[in-house]
Amino acid sequence: MNDKERFQSVVQPHLTDAYALARWLTGNAVDAEDVVQEACLRAFRGIGGYNGGNARAWVLTIVRNTAFNWMAKTRAHVTLPLDDDESLQPTDLETPEAVLSAKTDAARVEAAIAALPDGLRDTFVLREVHELGYKEIAQVTGVPIGTVMSRLARSRNRLLAVLGDAKDDSHE
Amino acid sequence: MNEPLARDQELLLNAYLDGELSPAEVLTIEQKLAIDPTLANAFVRLKSLRNRVAASLPRMTPPPGLAARVDRAVGARSTARYDWMRLAASLIVAAGIGSSATFVAMRDAALDPTAGAVAAAHVRALMAPQPFDVASSDRHTVKPWFNGRIPQAPVVVDLAAQGYPLAGGRVDVIGTTPVPTLVFRHRQHLISVTAVPAAASGTTGPALRQIDGYRLVSWSRDGVTYWAVSDIEASDLEAFGQAFRAAARESS
Repeated sequence: MNDKERFQSVVQPHLTDAYALARWLTGNAVDAEDVVQEACLRAFRGIGGYNGGNARAWVLTIVRNTAFNWMAKTRAHVTLPLDDDESLQPTDLETPEAVLSAKTDAARVEAAIAALPDGLRDTFVLREVHELGYKEIAQVTGVPIGTVMSRLARSRNRLLAVLGDAKDDSHE
Repeated sequence: MNEPLARDQELLLNAYLDGELSPAEVLTIEQKLAIDPTLANAFVRLKSLRNRVAASLPRMTPPPGLAARVDRAVGARSTARYDWMRLAASLIVAAGIGSSATFVAMRDAALDPTAGAVAAAHVRALMAPQPFDVASSDRHTVKPWFNGRIPQAPVVVDLAAQGYPLAGGRVDVIGTTPVPTLVFRHRQHLISVTAVPAAASGTTGPALRQIDGYRLVSWSRDGVTYWAVSDIEASDLEAFGQAFRAAARESS
């Protein structure tokens, strides 16, 4: 099997996943498409390094790295994910206007996830959108499982803080 | 009411929510949940957040041209996205997805336009506002719906307990033959099961194919070939096929 065929069997089946992750990380459809294309090129060039493990995790790892590189190059305010747990204190929590002004609960939830810091958003999205296990998330984000656990807990605390409890919504 | 938890308790609770605890740990935390209202309240909040997120997540479907664009970018042969007959002949791949239970078919897919047509019907359904014509999780609603629309109503099985609730049914046209398709959910994914009249009456399969990112498992029984199509992992689709066959055997 040549590289093209290998690429088609390893990478192509996960294009939908790749696009969804890129879309959540970059926040818009145009950048997401560029990121996926760039990530696919990298995957194609690196297909020899794919060791036959979990193809989806391998593809998502490349997409995530590509997305962060992409944002670092094209945006001023990007914060690369940090490994230490104290780097994202609740004090820098900003309730985005989008969350408050969103008309539907679904739009509020989407805006709140989009407003998670980069180090938390990717972890949360890999868990809730892609439904990866902790081990796979650790592999994709390149951190220990303990860090994955604490990032997930902090993501959820943040979302609960921003969104409030669902049952309170009707009183607002 | 919403008191902060100790950090280790909080991580444990999240891991419990995510199904990442060992059976012994599950037992321990369930005992704690039963007697600790603070912990129980925190878990209710986490669960309701999860449900809320699941209900809110938009489907981030890639634009239709993306696969072709990626193909061009890597210099692969440019393929029209929905030219399924050609794709069926050109994109059959089998590496790395073999398993003991499944014969990985490479040879006949090029000769078998049904595989391409079934995959095309699944994709077309995903792009439609609703992937089915009759929406119901009740097989006693879905099965009668097919009567009168097609010559023979399909075997409709209940796989909700196995994690595949029924979502509905639709009629696909394979070649010129209208055939029944059942739609099951698995997490956020959909699985279409299309029942096509088979040429022979024997029992064959299961066989796994892959067409442009979609996986197909097919098997034949009593003169009908069943095609399960989805974008879930090959092993998950095989497990679904096994559950379907087991339930079909019981109901016949």
